Amino acid sequence: MLLRASGQPDQKDFDLSSITDDHTDSGVDFGHWLRSLTEAAIQNRWDDLTTIRERAGAAMGTQSMVDALVVASGFNGITRVADATGIPLDENTQQMTVDMRESTGIERFNYAEKSDRYDLITT
Amino acid sequence: MSQSGPHVEVWLRIVDSNWTRKLEPGKIDGMYELTDYPLREGLIEAHEKVWENIAGPGPFWTGAERIAMVAESRTATSCLLCAKRRQALSPYAVDGVHDSETDLDAVIIDMIHRIRSDPGRLTRNMFDQVMGAGITPEQYIEIVGVVNSSVIIDTLHAALGLPLAELPTPQPGAPTGQPPANVTEAGAWVPIAVGNERPGMINGLSDNREPNIARSMGLVPNAVQLFFTAFRPHYALQNIPLELKQSQAEFIASRVSALNQCFY
Repeated sequence: MLLRASGQPDQKDFDLSSITDDHTDSGVDFGHWLRSLTEAAIQNRWDDLTTIRERAGAAMGTQSMVDALVVASGFNGITRVADATGIPLDENTQQMTVDMRESTGIERFNYAEKSDRYDLITT
Repeated sequence: MSQSGPHVEVWLRIVDSNWTRKLEPGKIDGMYELTDYPLREGLIEAHEKVWENIAGPGPFWTGAERIAMVAESRTATSCLLCAKRRQALSPYAVDGVHDSETDLDAVIIDMIHRIRSDPGRLTRNMFDQVMGAGITPEQYIEIVGVVNSSVIIDTLHAALGLPLAELPTPQPGAPTGQPPANVTEAGAWVPIAVGNERPGMINGLSDNREPNIARSMGLVPNAVQLFFTAFRPHYALQNIPLELKQSQAEFIASRVSALNQCFY
């Protein structure tokens, strides 16, 4: 929802399916490098990240490259807080994102579906 | 953009904390001192403050136990059991013992390893198992706060190609305890803050509404303070004072959420 809203000042319409679809161009500036930096950092691909940092820094500027990693590392923590506390969506988000959650596949991350999927096999 | 009172207060707090001011070359000491990459002074100070705080006793755990939680979180990234579980259809399909370097209780070690290595498959079942072992919701939340504050700091170090920060020396002292928190049942696994009591946890809120993520650890206000001290320099909901457009920051945030299978 925030990604969609962030395009409004520039009258840009970002492709939200790019969040879950690796092959879709988001339309966000330097989206390719932001994706590469983020994925390498979150997936602990540190060797790959060495090269990606260098190339991304050359393309988008060192400060922007570093700030991309700053945002990614912050969300690597805050997503775990949400996942570990089972907080529901905020009310307005819940109402405004029904279609978006379905179309992007995010709905499959809801807690009930996760329990159905991952608690099925218990020892 | 709203210019309501709370927003102005939040913004002033950002300016006051020199969040956007960069360190002079050579001035960096302590955390991140080995990097040549440009990091903001406010971020470094915040991370150092968090590190110092983790080393001291919290409301329900000692400093030594809190440092042990960070150590376990790090061990989880190379734990063989965690790796096997990530490959399985369900984390409950693989039994075993975690690689561990601490004497924390086994159920806490399992909780920390799962949070660190497989957050997308945390379920209410895991939380119930921890509660069933006699851990209180307050103790649970303090662990969540400590571990995930360290996840932020460790991820940034590793992402910049730096060795992880040295663990601080635990400070002596018993857990401090805390007065009862003002919380409510709102559909989460734990009671969460009533709301609008600690605005400013996330930069850039345009009004006084507090999102559930800022309320999620409300059972332990110390954990809220600790975690958002670490997180706040990483993001703002609007007018983000980084060399990124808001849309770029939101794309990164969305992509991390997807990779970690985070519904919220």
